[in-house]
Amino acid sequence: MRTTARHGIVRVLSQHAFLIIICLAALYPLWFIVSTALRSNAAYQLDPTGFPSHPTFASLRNMLFHQPLPRWMWNSFLVTVSSVAVSTFIALLAAYAAVFGRFRGHSIFISTSVALMVVPPVTLLVPMFVFMVNSGMVNHLQSVIIFYTGLLVPFAIFFMAGFFRTIPNELIEAASSEGAGPFTIFRRIVLPLSGAASFTLIVVQAIWVWNELLIALVFLQSESSRTLMAGLTQFQGRFTTDEPLVLAGALLSILPVVVLYLSGQRFFVRGLTAGIGK
Amino acid sequence: MALKHVLVVLGLAVVLSAAVFVAGAASKTAKSGDDPNNATLTYWYWAESDAPGANNWLKGQVALYEKAHPKVKVNVVLQSTDTLTSAFTTAAQTKSGPDIATQWATLPTLTPAWAGATVPISDYVPKSEWKNWISTAENMWEGKLWAMPQYLIGIPFVWNKQLFKKAGLNPNKGPKTWAEFLADCKKLKAAGITPFGMGNHGYGGAWFFSLIGKQNLNSINELKDAMIGKQDFANPKFSGFYQALADLKKNGYLNSDVASISFGQGFQLFGQKKAAMSWGTDGNVAQWESQVGAKNMGVEAIPIWGHGKLASSYDVTQSSDAFITKWSKHPQAAAQFLTFLHSPEALKAWYKATGVFPADKRFPSSLVKDPIAKQLLKLDQSPVSVWPENFVPPQVDQNADLAGGEMITAGSGSPSDVVKLWKTQLSQWKSQHPDEYNSYKKWATGS
Amino acid sequence: MAFAFGFPLVQVVRDSFYAGNFASPIWVGLDNYKGVLSDPAFRQSLFDNMKLLLTVPIMLGIGLAIALVLNDRIRGGRHYQSVVFLPYVLPATAIGIAFSFLLQENGVLNTSLRHAHLGGLAQDWLGNSHLAIVSVGGLVIWQQLGFAVVVFTAALLSLPPETAEAARIDGAGWWQLQLRVLVPQIRPIIELLAVIQVITVISWVFNYVYVLTAGGPGFSSSVMELYIWRSFSNGSDGTAASVAVMLLGMASVLIGLSLWVRKQKIVQ
Repeated sequence: MRTTARHGIVRVLSQHAFLIIICLAALYPLWFIVSTALRSNAAYQLDPTGFPSHPTFASLRNMLFHQPLPRWMWNSFLVTVSSVAVSTFIALLAAYAAVFGRFRGHSIFISTSVALMVVPPVTLLVPMFVFMVNSGMVNHLQSVIIFYTGLLVPFAIFFMAGFFRTIPNELIEAASSEGAGPFTIFRRIVLPLSGAASFTLIVVQAIWVWNELLIALVFLQSESSRTLMAGLTQFQGRFTTDEPLVLAGALLSILPVVVLYLSGQRFFVRGLTAGIGK
Repeated sequence: MALKHVLVVLGLAVVLSAAVFVAGAASKTAKSGDDPNNATLTYWYWAESDAPGANNWLKGQVALYEKAHPKVKVNVVLQSTDTLTSAFTTAAQTKSGPDIATQWATLPTLTPAWAGATVPISDYVPKSEWKNWISTAENMWEGKLWAMPQYLIGIPFVWNKQLFKKAGLNPNKGPKTWAEFLADCKKLKAAGITPFGMGNHGYGGAWFFSLIGKQNLNSINELKDAMIGKQDFANPKFSGFYQALADLKKNGYLNSDVASISFGQGFQLFGQKKAAMSWGTDGNVAQWESQVGAKNMGVEAIPIWGHGKLASSYDVTQSSDAFITKWSKHPQAAAQFLTFLHSPEALKAWYKATGVFPADKRFPSSLVKDPIAKQLLKLDQSPVSVWPENFVPPQVDQNADLAGGEMITAGSGSPSDVVKLWKTQLSQWKSQHPDEYNSYKKWATGS
Repeated sequence: MAFAFGFPLVQVVRDSFYAGNFASPIWVGLDNYKGVLSDPAFRQSLFDNMKLLLTVPIMLGIGLAIALVLNDRIRGGRHYQSVVFLPYVLPATAIGIAFSFLLQENGVLNTSLRHAHLGGLAQDWLGNSHLAIVSVGGLVIWQQLGFAVVVFTAALLSLPPETAEAARIDGAGWWQLQLRVLVPQIRPIIELLAVIQVITVISWVFNYVYVLTAGGPGFSSSVMELYIWRSFSNGSDGTAASVAVMLLGMASVLIGLSLWVRKQKIVQ
């Protein structure tokens, strides 16, 4: 039995209203960043909520050409690419071995991965720092690359294993009965199927590394090795009275992520929930 | 997304990361000798908050120096007030970092010295040069000078004459005692004007400690005793001033956003004529002069609140100083650059850029022509001057002085809560850093 | 993995028994733990992490509401979902900095409230020590909401439509349909997300706090990660290590508890 038409319309309208309010709340801070970054400091001080009636690129230009921002962005980029690549690589192999391999304790391996996912990175901070100092790697990008890779691997393995389990066993058995060795199976069957899942995993990990702050603050303190997020906090302290400048930096740090998100949205959302759903 | 693409990207990424690794490993600099004319120096610099215009001045000086010494490069890394000390402590743990660093005078400079992270500048600069520097006593230990002063600042009290007139107060009479100050606040508030402006999201409360808090003491040695536990910080002569700050907040004599705006933002209030009274460094005053106008501004010493001998002392200090780190491979080069910053032209350029007096006896006071600046100079030459914050161990300063001030302006703690905080932090400092505590004790009780 | 986790875990426990800096450690036994437990800043940090736990039901609730609405096959649902999810991928640091300006006493939020004659609602979001942690909580909810929405939406999509159809045929009203039929079906997912969010709020909120309030005013919005960071930057590595060990203990206990509860439920 359907409810009356009027009831239906009221409901639909209120649903839309609800969602629109949520969306406005979700977008406003982003709008604030963009609009303030395009205003002059004087205009902002006079009226923080105002619309940028005379947009200027001065703050953005300052950030790009007169501040260390590009260097920091490059560092973040290197760190992200390296740690995500190595972690994904390891995860593909390890998850494959764990799910399809026939070695003892492969389920313990997965459970350990899950357990390690829970460990807060901050608890490992001090010993890792000491180690990095003693081995001379502190203030070099390698230190965080190693640390991040180590932190990413448990989740990556968990995620990949979850996905591999959805591959029908018949495919594997058919291939091995034709005499294909484990590596061939991996290359010819498992890998091609995991394109979308791998992509999702890469994107999730990349966003995590790009956004990471605490470890980057501790391990990369020299100006030349600093990452973008750590640098942003420096700006926050340095330019407390020049909000447009600081937000110009924030905007530049967000752009790559937004671009990545918009381009890979569909895969991303679907893949993420598929992994979690297991 | 074709798997092929994913693989190609992954492959490239692995190659790239391998390259990063190799490059990183190879970038360990070859050990060159300490040639003062051939070096790359990293200088962690802070001064702009005390002296607006400092950053540009240093930039200019670096350019001049590099031109005169083509094989020398100086990389200036600006520091922020909130993390000045912690950033260096963290770097010191890595036994690497800048060649030259800035810290505030006395305890923040001596603490890393005691820990072996710095070298005395007097080892690299002849006495004939540094005997011209003013206020070196603030950084002496075991007969050596550990850091170079750059400038001297006093912190005077200022008031806006126009706003005073508007509230029915005599524009030429600034408050000399705390009672007068409170009376002025009352009238200003009644006229709808913010009486006193400051920003305390982070730092401002520490100034209250140093400007008002010392006024019940007879000598700074009493504070040193309180730090090592020979006297009790709960004694009202040390901590009574928190009540005064709490009362200011309670009566609405401070700007309404005192607890959420930063120290730097707080300085803008007086210049934007949003507050009738404030205090600031000589450098802040110079900037305010350009905004408010010399005729509209009154300058004087801090109102007297306490009854100790230090109540009438002024507060001139070198504030921040520059020192050479222990791991620097070019201490001689660093010292030569630092000495250059005390050359006559550099000093003149400094005064021109910031309006703050250089810490050098050779600076001719005839260059001080501006009437307000002359008043500041006179104040700065007061017979007795002490900046108490210099004597507080940095960790305690951060966790008790600053945090305590925040508690009062945010209304989250009473003065007695803040006293408890100080005592907890002092005992924590003692138990977490026994070596630092012992060094302080030796230094304070005369070594 | 053994390297990244095993070695540091052992080391951090060892470190927690020393004082002084790590170049010259001094054995102090349990003193670090004792000192930390008696430090009001630590207690406040712990308390604040607990306070942040309150954000979990709020976030789950709102997220659920949004997901249910989206599940109604509303027009443009995909677009709404994209927008709602966007905050989750943005760097917490950049967003936190923006919020730190928005929430100042004379910042955008308060100014807008005053313009709209709602001045009474305007508070000192960052400077009032009772509200500081609430502001952090608000930021956490703002960012984590999208994640909850996406997960719930997917879960709802995977439900067999027959149950909902049957209920509708039986005359269930809209509210009854949501609350009595759909929500209970995705209970396991809700619980899973709750666990994830609890972990997040205990050990992954450093970014938010550091950038928004730095733990201030005083220590009123400090969290354990920040306490560890502070101790570390003061050179008190032993203290940092002891708190880290305690944090690890807490996280493990919470996980263990939730797994145990899960098992109980399955048994029932």
